[in-house]
Amino acid sequence: MKFKLIRSNKRFLYKGIIVEPQVRDFFTGRIWTRSNTPFHQEKVNAYIQQNYFNVKSGITSQPKGIFLRQSFTCNRCYNQIQHEFVQYNCAKCEKICVYCRHCINMGRVTSCTNLILWNGPLPLKYQKHVLDWDGTYTPAQKQAAQELTESMNNKRSHLVHAVCGAGKTEILFPAVLHALNKGLRVCIATPRTDVVLELFPRFQKVFPNTNIHALYGNAPKQAGFSQLVLSTTHQLFRFENAFDVELVDEADAFPYTIDLALQQAVLKAKKEGAPIAFVTATPSTQILNTVKKENWSYSFIPKRYHNHPLPVPRFEALWSYEKGITRGKIPLKLIEWTEKRLSNREPFLIFFPTIQLMQKAIPLFQRMNEKILSVHAEDEHRKEKVIKLRNEEIPGLLTTTILERGITINNVQVAVVGAESKIFTSSALIQISGRVGRNVQFPEGDIVFFHHGITAEMDEARNEILRLNKEGFGS
Amino acid sequence: MKRNEVENCLLCNSPIDVPVTWKTLLTNEFPRTICLECEEKFEICKTSNEEVTSLYKYNEQMKDYLHRYKFMHDLLLAKVFRYQLHYHLKKTKELIVPIPMHAEKRKERTFAHVDELLNEAVIPYTHLLEKMTTATQASKSREERLNTPQIFQLEQGVIVQQKDILLVDDIYTTGTTINHAKQLLLDAGAKSVKAFTLIRG
Ligand SMILES: [Zn+2]
Ligand SMILES: [Zn+2]
Repeated sequence: MKFKLIRSNKRFLYKGIIVEPQVRDFFTGRIWTRSNTPFHQEKVNAYIQQNYFNVKSGITSQPKGIFLRQSFTCNRCYNQIQHEFVQYNCAKCEKICVYCRHCINMGRVTSCTNLILWNGPLPLKYQKHVLDWDGTYTPAQKQAAQELTESMNNKRSHLVHAVCGAGKTEILFPAVLHALNKGLRVCIATPRTDVVLELFPRFQKVFPNTNIHALYGNAPKQAGFSQLVLSTTHQLFRFENAFDVELVDEADAFPYTIDLALQQAVLKAKKEGAPIAFVTATPSTQILNTVKKENWSYSFIPKRYHNHPLPVPRFEALWSYEKGITRGKIPLKLIEWTEKRLSNREPFLIFFPTIQLMQKAIPLFQRMNEKILSVHAEDEHRKEKVIKLRNEEIPGLLTTTILERGITINNVQVAVVGAESKIFTSSALIQISGRVGRNVQFPEGDIVFFHHGITAEMDEARNEILRLNKEGFGS
Repeated sequence: MKRNEVENCLLCNSPIDVPVTWKTLLTNEFPRTICLECEEKFEICKTSNEEVTSLYKYNEQMKDYLHRYKFMHDLLLAKVFRYQLHYHLKKTKELIVPIPMHAEKRKERTFAHVDELLNEAVIPYTHLLEKMTTATQASKSREERLNTPQIFQLEQGVIVQQKDILLVDDIYTTGTTINHAKQLLLDAGAKSVKAFTLIRG
C-alpha cells in the first residue's frame, strides 16, 4: 500500500497536473462511462490524456464456438447473454454498434462508449475508525463474530448461516472494524435496496468516524472517499477491483440467485484474492456447494438472540381460495383469522402469490377494516406503509413476497395465502416465518400457511425450522 | 422477422407465452414483443380530430416507455408499437414525412426515434424537412414555444407542390412542432398537411 502511494506521488509530480482530491476520491475503484461523470467533460478528458485513467471499450466481441460467431461481453456488467445485446445503426459512428440491455438502467453502454478506470494516486486512509456499540452478544453471536473476523483477516471466504432474528448485522461489526483499521476498503452488498436502507443508519451510528456511502438506484450524491460502502449488488456493476473485503448480506435473495451477471459483479468488484463472506438465514444449495468446493469457513447460529425457538408454521387447507376471492368472497377460515387479529389488536401481514390476486382481495379486506392496505414491489409508498404498520396506524398489510425479508414489526402475526404457489419456495417460506416473534417482548406469534394442497417446499420449510430449533435447543 | 424473435416481454421481462392461434399465425409478420399485462396498461386515445390522429394517451405506462426509449436509448423498444403503427399507416395515400431531429441531436442520441418506429413498422417514408435548432420544445415555456420563429427548413431541392402530406411524430403536446412544419409545407405549396402521432400528451 505504502509503496503504491509513493510511486503514484512521484508520477503525479512528473506529470505536472494537480490531482484534485474530489476526482481521485470519486473514481478510485470505480468503472464509469467516460461521457457521463459528475465532472466537466474537458476535465475528465485532460486526466485521460495524462494517463490517469485506463480506458476500455464498453463492449468487446470475440469469435466463439466452431462457427466462430461473434460473442459479446459487456465490460461494465460482464453480461454475456447474447440476446441481451442489440446491434443497431449508430448515427454517431455511422456504422453498426452494439449496446447491452442488461445494465441499461444505469445509462446505456455501447461498443462506442468508453469506460474509464482510475489509475492515478490512491486516497489516503489516515482515519482512526471506532466502533461505538454497547450492545451485547449471545455466546453464539460472539463466536460467529470472532470466526468471521479471523477469516477476513486470513483472506479466507466465509459463510455465516444465522436464523432469522439471530442478530446477524451485529456479527459483522468487529470484522468491519478490523478491516477498516488495517486500511482496507470494505463493501457490504445485498440484492435488496430495502436492506441497504435499513443497514445505512445502523452503520452510521456505530461507525461515527467513518465516511460511509450507501449506493442504490437514485441514491443521492455522496462526497469524499468512502472506505466503507453499503451497496445493492446491482450498483457493484460500477466497481472493479475495488474492495479488499466483501460481505454479501441476504445472498440468497432474488434476483441475485438467478442473475449470473450480478454474481459476476460481486466478484469483479473485489480485488483479486480478496475474501468474501455470505450472510444468510437460508443458504441456497448453490452457496453451500461453493462453500464446500472452495473450502470456506463456516459459522452457524441456530438460535435467535432472545433465546426463544423459531415459531413453527402450521398448515391450514383453504380450498379454492382463488375462485372465492375472484368471486368477491374471502374464504371463511381467512376471515376468521383476520377478525381474530383485528379484535386482539395484533398487527398482521398476509402474503399473496400474485399482485393480481392481492388486488382482487384488498377491497374485500377493506370491508372488514377500511384501514387495511396492500403493498407490492412497484409501490411508491412501500416504506411509508410499513412504517404505518409498525406505528400501529393501520391494523395490517396485504403484501407480495417483497416483504419476505428485512422487516421487523413487534408482535406481528403472519398468514400466507396460497402457500402451495411456485413463488413460495422453501427459503421464501422460512424467511416469511422469520418475520414472527423477533422481539424479546413478543417472542411468539402465529404463522399459518393457507393452502390448496401441501407442497414439498412447504414441508421442507417446516422441517428446516423444526431442525433449527432442535439444533438450538436440543429437544 | 421470425416467430419467437422476442421470448421475454421487452418492458417487464416476463416470459411471453401466447398460445398459437390462427390469428397469431396470420399476423406472423409482427410477433408479440410485450406481454398482455404491459399492453393493457397503455391507454388508447379517443380524442382525435381531422387534423391530428394519435394512438395512445400519455399515461404513466407511456411516460415510462418514452423515457426508456428516447432518453435511456433502448432502441430495441422501437419494436413495441410496430404492429399498431403498421396497421394504421399501411394504407396511407399521403406522403409520410417524419418530423426530423437536428443532426447534432441525432448523433447524440445515436438514432432518430421517429424514423426507427417507422422502420420497425415497415412503413416507407420520405424526409423533406431539416431541423435548424437544437433546442427541444420540452425545454421551453409555453410562451416561448408559441413565439419561436420557424424551427424547420425544407431540405435542399425538395418540391412539395400539390402533394398531400402526413407528418409523423412521437408525441403531440402543444402542437407547436407540428404547426411549424405544417406552415412551412403549406407555404411551399403543399396541397394538404395532416399529422399522425403515437401519443397525445
Ligand atoms: Zn456507435
Ligand atoms: Zn451491461
